[in-house]
Amino acid sequence: MLWKPVHLFTFKKKFDFLGQRKAALILSTLINVVALLGVAFVGLNFGIDFRGGIAIQARAKQGVAQLDELRSTVGGLGVGEVALQEFGDPSTALIRVQRQDGGPQCVAGAQKVMLTRAGPGWQVKPGPPGTGDVEFTSPAALDAIAWRDAVSRAGLTVQERQLPRGTVNTAKIDMTPEQQAEWCQQVAIKLVEDAIGARYEIRGTEAVGPKIGGELMESGILAVIATMAAIAIYVWFRFEWQFAVGALIAMLHDVISTVGIFVLFQLDFSLTALAAVLTVAGYSINDTVVIFDRVRENMRRYKKLGLVDLLNLSVNETLARTLMTSATVFVAVLALVLFGGPVLYSFSVAMLWGVIVGAYSSIWIACAGLVYLNLRPEQLRPDDDKAEKAKA
Amino acid sequence: MLNLPRWQTIVIIAITVLSGVFALPNLLPSAVLDHLPGWYQQSRINLGLDLRGGAHFLLEADLRSVLSERLTNLSDSVRGELRKQQVAYKDIMVDQGRAVTVVLRDEAQRAKAIEAIRNVDPSLAVSGQGDTIHLAYSDQDLFRRKREVIDQSIEILRRRVDETGTIEPTIVRQGDERILLQVPGIKDTTDLKNKINQTAKLTFHLVNEDVAAAGPSATVPPTTAMVPTREGMQELRRSNPKAWEEIQAANPRMSPDQICRRYQPQCLPVFKRVIVGGEDLDDARSTFEQQQGGRPIISFTFNAPGGRAFCAATRANVGKRLAIQLDNEIISAPVVQSAICGGSGIITGTFTTQQTQEQALLLRSGALPATLTIIEERTVGADLGADAIRDGTVATIVGTILVALFMFAAYGPVFGGFANLAMLVNLLMVFAGMSILGASLTLPGMAGLVLTVGMAVDSNVLIYERVREEKALGRSAFSSLATGYERAMSAIIDANLTTLIAGVLLFGFGSGPIRGFATTLSLGLVTSMFSSTIFTRMLLSVWVRWRRPTELVI
Repeated sequence: MLWKPVHLFTFKKKFDFLGQRKAALILSTLINVVALLGVAFVGLNFGIDFRGGIAIQARAKQGVAQLDELRSTVGGLGVGEVALQEFGDPSTALIRVQRQDGGPQCVAGAQKVMLTRAGPGWQVKPGPPGTGDVEFTSPAALDAIAWRDAVSRAGLTVQERQLPRGTVNTAKIDMTPEQQAEWCQQVAIKLVEDAIGARYEIRGTEAVGPKIGGELMESGILAVIATMAAIAIYVWFRFEWQFAVGALIAMLHDVISTVGIFVLFQLDFSLTALAAVLTVAGYSINDTVVIFDRVRENMRRYKKLGLVDLLNLSVNETLARTLMTSATVFVAVLALVLFGGPVLYSFSVAMLWGVIVGAYSSIWIACAGLVYLNLRPEQLRPDDDKAEKAKA
Repeated sequence: MLNLPRWQTIVIIAITVLSGVFALPNLLPSAVLDHLPGWYQQSRINLGLDLRGGAHFLLEADLRSVLSERLTNLSDSVRGELRKQQVAYKDIMVDQGRAVTVVLRDEAQRAKAIEAIRNVDPSLAVSGQGDTIHLAYSDQDLFRRKREVIDQSIEILRRRVDETGTIEPTIVRQGDERILLQVPGIKDTTDLKNKINQTAKLTFHLVNEDVAAAGPSATVPPTTAMVPTREGMQELRRSNPKAWEEIQAANPRMSPDQICRRYQPQCLPVFKRVIVGGEDLDDARSTFEQQQGGRPIISFTFNAPGGRAFCAATRANVGKRLAIQLDNEIISAPVVQSAICGGSGIITGTFTTQQTQEQALLLRSGALPATLTIIEERTVGADLGADAIRDGTVATIVGTILVALFMFAAYGPVFGGFANLAMLVNLLMVFAGMSILGASLTLPGMAGLVLTVGMAVDSNVLIYERVREEKALGRSAFSSLATGYERAMSAIIDANLTTLIAGVLLFGFGSGPIRGFATTLSLGLVTSMFSSTIFTRMLLSVWVRWRRPTELVI
């Protein structure tokens, strides 16, 4: 034997976990209420995935990224709200521009893009109010193919029927206001590229239009609900309904408090963040189910024991495992926080919290829930293959 | 319980070795890989766009205006047919949305009117009463039409994107009215975006046979332009790639005349006057001739004004060639055999089916059937992807080492070692699984991998803690191991399945990179059930037989 294993988390003393359930309940309620209030009044720092908008990663060709200078440059483009942050290292900046909703400002931006990219003399004017129409005027008469190439410099999609017939100076492109709004994302990207392109290298661009943002949000919320419901149904199927309710409350607790972490640190709430929330739900149930499994086993074995004592016994018996597993996942996620890079940062921080809160909630929320739901040994389904085998 | 039958041991070892074999191409340096057979090199995990660099676009087709355009055409046809049948009407209008309404002057003519409408399109749903008739396309018809529009757009996009010379674009339908376009390894998306946006311009011109007959030295009158043929341009691309690149890069675009003069590919003199444009071409298909042995041919249909113009032009020019120009290339110049009236005609020749299909596609690609709007765009530069790979790899390695140290410290060299070996086998299995499934590894996918590393040892922790408990109860070494494994199983299955539920739902709801996360997480959970329980049990059974321990140091 090279070295002896260290019993890292084995305690001789038996803790009265469930004795603290009132204090835990108050603490958890407080955390959750604060988290919800935070969401309501401070708000999540929604990334462009959900809100729509543009994110551009730019790296200074020389030296460090001058955030203040960038802010005033991009802020002066008339593209609305601009947020900047250092991203990963001092030479790289993440520029976020609000969702573009079209309108005269965007058309003015399009004119600027045309002047830079298609040459002097170009004019772009908005069409009649209520429509999304845009009128392009060129310095020279152009035929349909030339028109098509010209307007594509401003990122505009046109169909053949939208192009003018013959060789003309003016082209009116008919669009709905919604189509114009989607196009305006492209205009804004080009504006930013033109404004900073000389000194910054564009490393990555993301643009999410107004339409898709709302949909992603919807399907995200649906995914969280569906996941929690599916897990609760699974637990119900494997155990008793009290276990399912306990697990569901524990999951809700973890999900809400994880969202609270996003509010507290104003972490970027993106699709990856949503994945973190879902994973926290799936992971937090992990500990809960392991404890529940032991509770069920012990209920069959010690029929006389009171519920609180029984839960305490089960939690204590599985405590070493709960802590050990949490520790291994914790160090793995810690590696992600430290080395995973800027893109995964929000995700990793949320997961780190999820590991801790998952262990906490499985003891104090899920198990305490069983006490309040008044679980009784005789309510257990008599048959379970494992219990039979254990006797053998 | 611990003693496995020999065949089981063999199966377990075989699975492990196979996983190693499938995972290996992903881990070997390319210098070594180059010496291995091609099929083996191929079985590597695809890197997602966020790691590889590239562009991702979600495009939405404007189907509403396709429908309203179609209804306008329908109302024109109905108007014509009613006039022909001498049915008097007060009004024919296109309703907002999805119907055409006809108001008759005389209710008594309703039956006659409906009959006339049936002549136009028998599949129309007819409703309304009295002097009012509502016409609508059936849901089935609309559904089929939507599919057609998207399929056609995908074909056209594929042709355009492939033409830029980029590698393996992914172009797939997403939902009812969207197309996902992914192009890996692209540096500048401006060009690609222009390609998406561009509507190819299709026009029909007469060939100036006098100039053509006079040969290359002929003077070209101002009414005529020299336009390169498609074959000519392809030949130029093969024989003189530098010239091809110059033409592509030219800004402003070179005119066909300039290209002909400067690079002298095969060109045809065509009259500048447009006989009919692509906007009047309703459809073009590859079919087979009815008689004469069923040769592959191309059939096409014009709308009413297009048909009239085409009829007039072909009647006056039988025996001459008609050039079909797509953008700045002539894709085909068939000889007019006879006047083509009635709106539809065919192009015959010694074509293969493949050629007719391509030509029909080219004709159809005159215009995208619907406007495509970019509603989501994600572009990752290649070096950004390289950074992400580096970050992800470092995090995975550090995470693995930290977890391994933990397991060694907690359970000693033997049990900790077995668990860590299982963790490595699990990583190999995830890699192998992804290679076999052809799944893409994304940056969130790497996060899933790290998470899996932390979670995979959970099963071993459950088992070992149980073994400790059984040992504390005074069981023998062998018995504690056996019961430890047995009693931990139920918790292991429950714990993994609940997390797996989250993983699977995440896969269902998520998109792109998130799917990558769901893939590695779910795959890792499934394979860890093998590596952490079955595989370590085999190791332990071998170890127990070899060492015959009387006391467990765990």
